[in-house]
Parts: sequence; C-alpha cells; structure tokens
Amino acid sequence: MTAPADPGAGPAGVGIGWRPEIAGFVAGLPGLRFVEVVAEAVAPHGPPPAGLAELVERGVTVVPHGVRLSLGGAEPVDAARVAHLARVADLVRAPLVSEHIAFVRAGGLEAGHLLPLPRSREAVAAVVANVRRARAELPVPLALEPIAALFDWPDDELDEADFLTEILDATDATLLLDVANVHANARNRGADPLDLLDRLPLERVSYVHVAGGAEQGGFYHDTHTDPVPPEVFDLIRELCARHRPPALLLERDGHWPPASTLRAELDAIAAVSGYPVVT
Amino acid sequence: MSGDPAVPAPGDLAARQAALVAALVAGGPLPPGFAPAPVDAARRALLRKRAGDVARHWPLLAAGLGPAWPATFAGWAAGRPTNGSLRDGWDLARELRGRGELPPLGAEELATREAASRYDGTRAPRRRRLPALARAGGAVAVQLAGRVRLLRPARR
Repeated sequence: MTAPADPGAGPAGVGIGWRPEIAGFVAGLPGLRFVEVVAEAVAPHGPPPAGLAELVERGVTVVPHGVRLSLGGAEPVDAARVAHLARVADLVRAPLVSEHIAFVRAGGLEAGHLLPLPRSREAVAAVVANVRRARAELPVPLALEPIAALFDWPDDELDEADFLTEILDATDATLLLDVANVHANARNRGADPLDLLDRLPLERVSYVHVAGGAEQGGFYHDTHTDPVPPEVFDLIRELCARHRPPALLLERDGHWPPASTLRAELDAIAAVSGYPVVT
Repeated sequence: MSGDPAVPAPGDLAARQAALVAALVAGGPLPPGFAPAPVDAARRALLRKRAGDVARHWPLLAAGLGPAWPATFAGWAAGRPTNGSLRDGWDLARELRGRGELPPLGAEELATREAASRYDGTRAPRRRRLPALARAGGAVAVQLAGRVRLLRPARR
C-alpha cells in the first residue's frame, strides 16, 4: 500500500466532481484546489485514472466519494468494499473520504442507487455500527451525506434533522451536506428547506454538494444531468449566511453541457459563496 | 415499542429493506404502509439511472437505439434485478437479436463482445483464450490472441 506520507489539505473553495468525460475540462481550471472522484471507479492498486494523477501531483485535494458501501444496510458493511475505499484514499493522498446515509442492496438484490432509511432508532444504530466498522479500517476521516429521497418509510420516529444529528453525535463523522438534496426533499415533502438548515450542526460540514435536477411526474428529481436550479443557489446563499462551509463542489454526471455552461455554474457557486473563482 | 402490533419488531430492518428492494427492482409487492406513487416514482428513477449505467458499458447498443434507448431498456429491465451493467446490456442485446430488433451498431458491439469473451448467460463473462469468430445481425467479429476485429459490418 502507498503510504499517504503527506495527506493533502482538506476540501477548500469551489470544486467539481471529477469524471473521465470531463477530465480535460477539469485539468484546465486554473484555480481548482479540490475535486471528488467516485471511489468505485478507481482501480485499487493504481495508477489513478489518466488526468486524476496529474491533479494529485498539482496538489489538488482529491476526495474519494463512495456510492456502494451501503452504510445504512442492516447487515455489517462489506469489509472488501471498505478496504477498497481505504486503498483509493491512499492512492490519491486523500485527507477525507465520503459516503451516504443510505442503503443500496438488501436480501441479495442490488437496488442500483441510494435508497432512504427509515428515520428510526434502529436505523440510526445500523448506520452508527457500520460507520464505526468502516472508520476502524479507513486511513482518514469520513464525511456522511444525507441523500435525496423520493419516498419516506411509513413509521419514521425522528425528523430529518434529529435523525442526522443522532448519527453525527454517535460517530466522529463530519457532514457532507448536499443543498440540492435539501431542496429535493423539502420540495417533495412540502417542507421548508430552511428549517433543516436552521437545525443541522453546520459547524460539522466538511463540504457541500451542489447539483442540478428537474421536475418530472410531479416530483423534483436530483438528476445531476440538468442545470442547477435557482432554488439551489438560494440555499447556498442561506447556508453561507448561517455558517459558510469550507468548500462547495459541483456534481455533474451526464448530458454534458458546453464547457462555458459548466464554467458559468462554477462561477455562480463562487459568487454566491464568496469564494475565489476557479475558472 | 414491542407491545404495539403496528410497530414492527426491532431487529427486522434487514427483512424490511429486502422487501422494499424487491418491490423496487424485482416486481415484489409494495410493503405495507408505503405510499404507492412516490415508491413508483423511485422505481422508475432507478430504471433511468440503470439505463445510464448500462449505456456507459454498451455505448453502441444505446446509440443504435437512439431516443428509443431509455424506454427499450426500461421495458426489458422492469421487474428484472440487475446482474451488473455488463451482463444487463449483454442479456438485452441477445434478447433484441432474438426478436430481430437489434440495431446494426448494437449487433457490431455484441459480435465484438462475443468474440472476445464467453458468456453463458448465468455467470460473469470470461475472456476467451482460443481464437473465436462471432456473428450478430450480419456483423462478423474475430478474436485472435486477445485482439478483436470487426471483419464485416452489420446489415443496414
């Protein structure tokens, strides 16, 4: 294993989710100090994908972002998946890794994407146990991301703020707050997104996700393939007014727009948050 | 907590998660208490996400179907749990070939894959070690010493 002799600095300023399709665009951002890479897309024994290795050499902070650990699964987290995440963290000299408060498989079936947990004490205990199992094997701290959910379980005991706070209080994890998910959940539940911002421990936010979505069939879908809507920029402004996070990262996963459009979204995030432009 | 029959017994989170995933990806019944419309929206969102993942593994198959790709994939995948994007696309391509609906680009991609690897439909595909010839929709691909070439394009 490559020893992370000098883990990079923590996430700072405005970043973007590194994807192979936009590697050239990302490499050409002069002020960039922070990217994320989907952990499962990186071969554990290296080398890192072409383009990502150069960013590591440039001193850009790379945060591996897991999507398949299933930390919210009732079963113990898969040790091989944790080991993979740990190796990727070493490979890119990450100061931090992130994953979701969600489950992605159960009963031998893969759901294919992140599914919400019941907001129950039993689910809090399952997540906390899996976070502790993962942390014991990870070389760096873990940030947890609350997901966008299209449905809720019928027997929630806790509201979202209490559910997240209980998990954070029982672990040493930090918060990866996705403002697009905050918007999506509030929109789909008919709730006020500012209530959640007012009640979360914002001083524990390591960084923030910003992404686009679209209305479809009466629901707001967090697609990552559409423009960032004005409501999400408003939430960045509201968040920064309460407690400015150290970093904000644009996630885009497909339907690639022209480079000028991506640049404009990065510039808008910088303008709203008051961080330097990276383009 | 344990005396109320309406509250599920603690410790059954695993079974309840399994029932929910089965409802979302395997055509299982909606577990009690869930609102049908939001769960159905999630089921369809999972199919769209999966269609995107499979398209990344089978870009020519997806491109060959063009605007029909999302609906074609969703129609095949609904109620059918994933075996991973590589096998999902492979199974769909073979089914489309059987129905005579495999587009030329998809036929060329399928022939190329089948020349390179052996796939029995139930286990992960394995690289062929011996030379092989594969056909689909008029396309012919050959593999020699691990190198695959398309000898003849599909009928157009």
